[in-house]
Amino acid sequence: MRTRFLCSLLILTLFASLVSWGQAVKPQSIPQNGGDFSDNLQPVTKVPTGVILVKGAWSSASDSVTPLPEGGSVTNNVFINRYFGMSYTLPSDWTEKYKGPPPSESGRYVLAQLRPADTFKGSDRGSILITAQDMFFTPLPGTNALELINYTKDNLQADYTVEMPPTQTKIADRSFTFFAYWSPVARLHWYVLATQTRCHVVQIVLTSRDTKLLERLIFDVNKMKLPAEDSLTASTGGAVPVCIKDYATDKNVIERVDPIFTEHRFNSVPVRIIINKEGEVKHIHFLSAFPDQAKAITDALLQWKFRRYLSNGQPAEVETGIMFGRALLPTTATAASATTQ
Amino acid sequence: MIKTARVASVFALLVVLFLAGTAFAQTDPGVQSGNRGTGATIISPANDPNGFIAFFQDGLVRFQELENVSNAANVGLGPRFNSNQCSSCHSQPAIGGSGPAVNPQFAFAGSPVAPDNTTPYFITANGPTREARFPFFFNANGTANTSAANGGVEDLFTVTGRSDAGSCSLTQPSFAAAEAANNIIFRIPTPVFGAGLIENLDDSTLLKNQATNLNNRFGIAGAFNRNGNDGTITRFGWKAQNKSLHIFAGEAYNVEMGISNELFTQDRPLPGEDQQSTGLPANCLNLGGKGYPEDTSNPTSTPNAAVLDDVSAFANFMRFLAPPPTGGVVLNGSSVSAASIATGSSLFSAIGCATCHNPTPGTTQVSNFVPALSNAPVNAFSDIEVHHMGTGLADNVSQGAAGGDQFRTAPLWGLGQRIFLLHDGRTTNLITAIQDHASHGSEATTVEENFFDLNSTQQQEVLDFLRSL
Repeated sequence: MRTRFLCSLLILTLFASLVSWGQAVKPQSIPQNGGDFSDNLQPVTKVPTGVILVKGAWSSASDSVTPLPEGGSVTNNVFINRYFGMSYTLPSDWTEKYKGPPPSESGRYVLAQLRPADTFKGSDRGSILITAQDMFFTPLPGTNALELINYTKDNLQADYTVEMPPTQTKIADRSFTFFAYWSPVARLHWYVLATQTRCHVVQIVLTSRDTKLLERLIFDVNKMKLPAEDSLTASTGGAVPVCIKDYATDKNVIERVDPIFTEHRFNSVPVRIIINKEGEVKHIHFLSAFPDQAKAITDALLQWKFRRYLSNGQPAEVETGIMFGRALLPTTATAASATTQ
Repeated sequence: MIKTARVASVFALLVVLFLAGTAFAQTDPGVQSGNRGTGATIISPANDPNGFIAFFQDGLVRFQELENVSNAANVGLGPRFNSNQCSSCHSQPAIGGSGPAVNPQFAFAGSPVAPDNTTPYFITANGPTREARFPFFFNANGTANTSAANGGVEDLFTVTGRSDAGSCSLTQPSFAAAEAANNIIFRIPTPVFGAGLIENLDDSTLLKNQATNLNNRFGIAGAFNRNGNDGTITRFGWKAQNKSLHIFAGEAYNVEMGISNELFTQDRPLPGEDQQSTGLPANCLNLGGKGYPEDTSNPTSTPNAAVLDDVSAFANFMRFLAPPPTGGVVLNGSSVSAASIATGSSLFSAIGCATCHNPTPGTTQVSNFVPALSNAPVNAFSDIEVHHMGTGLADNVSQGAAGGDQFRTAPLWGLGQRIFLLHDGRTTNLITAIQDHASHGSEATTVEENFFDLNSTQQQEVLDFLRSL
């Protein structure tokens, strides 16, 4: 008993002397870690390079299952976009080196930007840019692909010369508007193919100095898989809602709850929603919103109730757009109604 | 003998190939050293009904004054600062420009300016003048807390050890630790030539440009940064975060030199000192000894211009600086032809650069200052919008509505005589700067591809054109 007590006393004494020794040789200093200060020159984790961690207004959605326009990707040399039902096998020796920017507040998407890989053998290079313009939110005049491309042609800068005026054609068994122009000084040619789907105008822009390369690219694009024109079903399967511009009006909204914003902001917040057959909001897609805006708008929209939409006497899902925040300035005239119906 | 001849012929072939390669490779002509008259005022002496030339001259003088902590004519410096003089960072190629070839910040540590300081690793003798920011606050264990965005300026130097700073003793931020944690970014000074014209562009002009520019086949969109108070378009700074030249000057005086003023009325602690509520120590406050703000109006001074506070004088200086004139270009010792530069201008537009770098985003409103600012074309080569520039340029700093990857389209006027390029001065080479426009998430990727799809001669013409600005 006495031995155990002495041992305990000895350990306690040693511990106390160690502590006091430590204090004696290492003067207490002001803590430097935290805030702007760190003494750690070998941190376990570093801020990752090449990752955008601090975002401004950005795209987001209420669920991670419903396909989004910006959700396409290149896998095994095939570009697949489930939202548009698009499948495109890249030409050999082409690649998607860089992904595009997030959707803009004006409803502009860069779906894919493709360029020759390092193994490309041609003398002149080129690029394939696939974009989409949400026709619910475009400030450009035009309700469909042809009108939009005509607007492009009519407002072509002096740097360019029209090679072929907008012409209707069939690509992948679907109606496209084809338009070609070039820059005499740059000797670059632009071949533009545009079609409309789900109230978007999808454009495939082929650019190169080599017109033979462009012709080959057109040939490849022709092998693209797209949903049938008159079908409401995407090629990848699953029903696609009817898209109707300005559906969220007093005529169709039975219950409306305004979002409560916690911060006063001045950006435009374009929102696409899918309304289910019972008239409830089942999916919300923010093209561009700050997180606090998305939260406030989601909380509100999930309480909205719509009249049931009937197609051929049957309830159908509706996809529509609502602009919160600042309205966009139209270019010349307000775009007229865009709808699949 | 035969072997020698064979070696000689191979060598000759290599020389020919090298020369051929040199002839076809495009080259940044580099900084154009000729005097283009940059730095003059936009005000015509013959058409200055309100007498603002005197205000420009007064602002020019104050812009070059050395600031002190106390016991001198110009006091209020610190307790933290990046420099002690506006013109030390804004001097290339003339007062009001960007960073000079010889970095004044490199000489501060150990000198009477910042005696008890060390030079941060990213400040070099001939590198860019810089400010530093930590995108995120540190955790207590020294790693960056990516859930706690910081992004404020971490001033490089302190007044510690200065004879005019009393007992104030401050530690410099942990730049080495920030580098180790990959938690540091840089900014270089923006030139302010022609800033009065940009300030006097009406919002509606910019908005119309934006709508028109959406009609492009380059994948470019863009947005405006806006003032949190009145919602109007902001336009100065790398992320277009500042509304006016007054705000721009007031913020810089406070943040870069530590001088409180009528717009930013307190001495500024570091973001972390602010976050942790420690603030600045009491013996580092009111170092000038006259109270706050350290810069005020001077009601009893004469002449009229002297009544203004420094911030207003700086704003007037920037406002009345003429836009930088264009000029001839010398490439490898030879003058580039005007025709080649003109072709480069057309190429610049044709391949899509001008979609964002809009040569003339508009004409100014009627000015109440001077006629020279009224109804004047603004040849800034910028749409004043912020664009997503992708992972390659992203700095993870948010300012106003601009996110970590968004930057204002840098006005290109004056580019011919700028040394350091992009927001952090990472390169002095135009070709590298163009390459860096492409990365994941950048709006400029397709245009960058278009540039490199041009042949070498055309690329050279674009580069020559850019150095003519």
